[in-house]
Amino acid sequence: MRIGDIWNKLATPKRIPRLFALILGIFLIIGFMVPMGLNVDQLYPREAPQVQVEQGLAMAPYARGGEPLVSPGITKSAYPQYAPKLGWINSYVSPLSRFVMSLSPYFGTSIYSSPGGLIDEILYYTRGFDTVLESSILMMAFIIASWLSVNYTMNRRNDSENIKKDVKIAISNSDLIASEVEQNNIKAHRKQNRRDN
Amino acid sequence: MSLASLGGNLLGIVPLGDIVFYLNPLHLFLFVAILIFTFLIAISHTETQVEAEFGTLGDKKQSVGLKEFKARRFLSVICGIATAGAMITGDLYNFTLFMSLVGILNIGIISSVKQIGVLDSVFQYGLIAMMCSLPLFGGAAIVLGACGTVSLLAIQSMKPTAMMIFGAIMLFIGVCGESGIAPFFASKAEMFRTPGSPFLLIVHLSSLFIIIRAIEIVLIICT
Amino acid sequence: MIYVPSTVPHIFSAMYIPAIYTGLIIGFFSLIAISMQKRDIHVLVLTDVVGFAMLIVVAGVGTDLAESFILPGLVVELAEVLAISEILISREMRKISADNPSASFNPMPMKYDMEILTTAPNFLSLLLIAYGVFLTGFTGGAIAGGGILLYILSRKARGLPVFVINGVSGVSGIGWCMWIIAFWIFFVAPQYWLLCLFLAACGLLLKVATKMGLIGVLMREEYGKD
Repeated sequence: MRIGDIWNKLATPKRIPRLFALILGIFLIIGFMVPMGLNVDQLYPREAPQVQVEQGLAMAPYARGGEPLVSPGITKSAYPQYAPKLGWINSYVSPLSRFVMSLSPYFGTSIYSSPGGLIDEILYYTRGFDTVLESSILMMAFIIASWLSVNYTMNRRNDSENIKKDVKIAISNSDLIASEVEQNNIKAHRKQNRRDN
Repeated sequence: MSLASLGGNLLGIVPLGDIVFYLNPLHLFLFVAILIFTFLIAISHTETQVEAEFGTLGDKKQSVGLKEFKARRFLSVICGIATAGAMITGDLYNFTLFMSLVGILNIGIISSVKQIGVLDSVFQYGLIAMMCSLPLFGGAAIVLGACGTVSLLAIQSMKPTAMMIFGAIMLFIGVCGESGIAPFFASKAEMFRTPGSPFLLIVHLSSLFIIIRAIEIVLIICT
Repeated sequence: MIYVPSTVPHIFSAMYIPAIYTGLIIGFFSLIAISMQKRDIHVLVLTDVVGFAMLIVVAGVGTDLAESFILPGLVVELAEVLAISEILISREMRKISADNPSASFNPMPMKYDMEILTTAPNFLSLLLIAYGVFLTGFTGGAIAGGGILLYILSRKARGLPVFVINGVSGVSGIGWCMWIIAFWIFFVAPQYWLLCLFLAACGLLLKVATKMGLIGVLMREEYGKD
């Protein structure tokens, strides 16, 4: 095959993602030949699963020490010198959540959904900029989607005219039906009259 | 390889918790250049294309409406700022997020065009951008698993392992797909035959700048 | 009591290789499927499977950091699916109307015959919104947004005007600004961290809830013209 044919085949936009997927898939195979292994010296390490549950901690998988508003919890971040209030959000639990925590031993599993706690510390404070970007990405996607639908998908027909046309059709339809009914009535009356006579 | 041998001496850092932006002469130049381009694009107007019609002597004007113009200008200014941010960030995961932001904005800038061919191209581009979340974030996660950190300031002094190189190359494939430069040029050429050219320029510019930065990051990790 | 170990426990480092291989295998098969697939909509669905492979690779690291990396990855996937499927819809509509200008795009009327939508939508959505506000943050936003979604679904009226959509997006923008302000106060004046925490949590709540509500509004516009 000549190289010009290959270029021409590549010029079809539909083929590009397929080709890209194929190349990426083949590249992933290389991953099985590369020696992999987890470096155990990680940031923000955590206890093995179930260890904290067996210790009976109320905030089971996410207990990182510290008292709310009294002492900070333990956060092993990359640059503690740039985060002066490190660990305070980690140990904070809102009063409402503290009440729930006194009732249930499983509060820790819903730590995502209450202000305070380890995940909030990472998402809002030490890696806050990631969340800024993440919410910006979501915002941009919504701007694109809603712009498209407001300006095209939704307004694809002129609404008020469309309704007017619909109403006209409906009126003429009902007129038609009414006249049919009337004519049928007249026919029936005539038949009745003939029989009577 | 150390940061200094690639981009010059460290001029300063902007710490935001774990995410540290750092400035050296190369990054500063790229940062300022993309901001100047963004400013130029923000004050420019769209061009109007004139197409000759077949069969008649008439011409057809393809202009951009005010609403479309405003939406596109907004998206391209944000795209410029996001590219500028990606130039100075010193955190691998932060860079991938900047990359995704630039990718989705590129899609948005082109998606407001009304021609079917362009919409088809942008959809295919979007498919590549979606697939690229695996090499982008996955590559960053593999580097995290191998190094224990995603901060480039810490990674620069580490000795590269095969796993780190694999992660870095995976990340680079992701960046290539997300900004869709050279290998996917055929697809891009289809997209650029549209009215409203200055805003489409930022798509080219951002992919150019991002690729330069991505090569620098890959070199920092791999050598 | 040891709250945080000094290194990653053995179980995580032992599970890392299986996890990452699983991710790579899923990624490989879904990518090969994409390269063989003919129809665009199928490719769009399969790209989501590639996203799952990414989540597995990220989660394999098994630290708190990896856990917090999952959320941005997930959101990016979600956002891109949303934008690209909208592009697909508009492309298909344009294609059809170019072939046949009189083609009707009036979507099929939504025929859902669920009792819950007629008897208790107000109560249920209020409950969901209240629970979402209690939770705050991203999860709370999703739950409160689900409440708004349910409320809009239960309305049989024809869609809302563009002005309302702009208003809902405006509220979402305010939420975003709250979060940005909180982020700056974190580093300018760290002693107000509690204020920042609540600003950020409520900002995210507002933002996500209104976004979910917006999906509902768009849905009614799209398919609700019966």
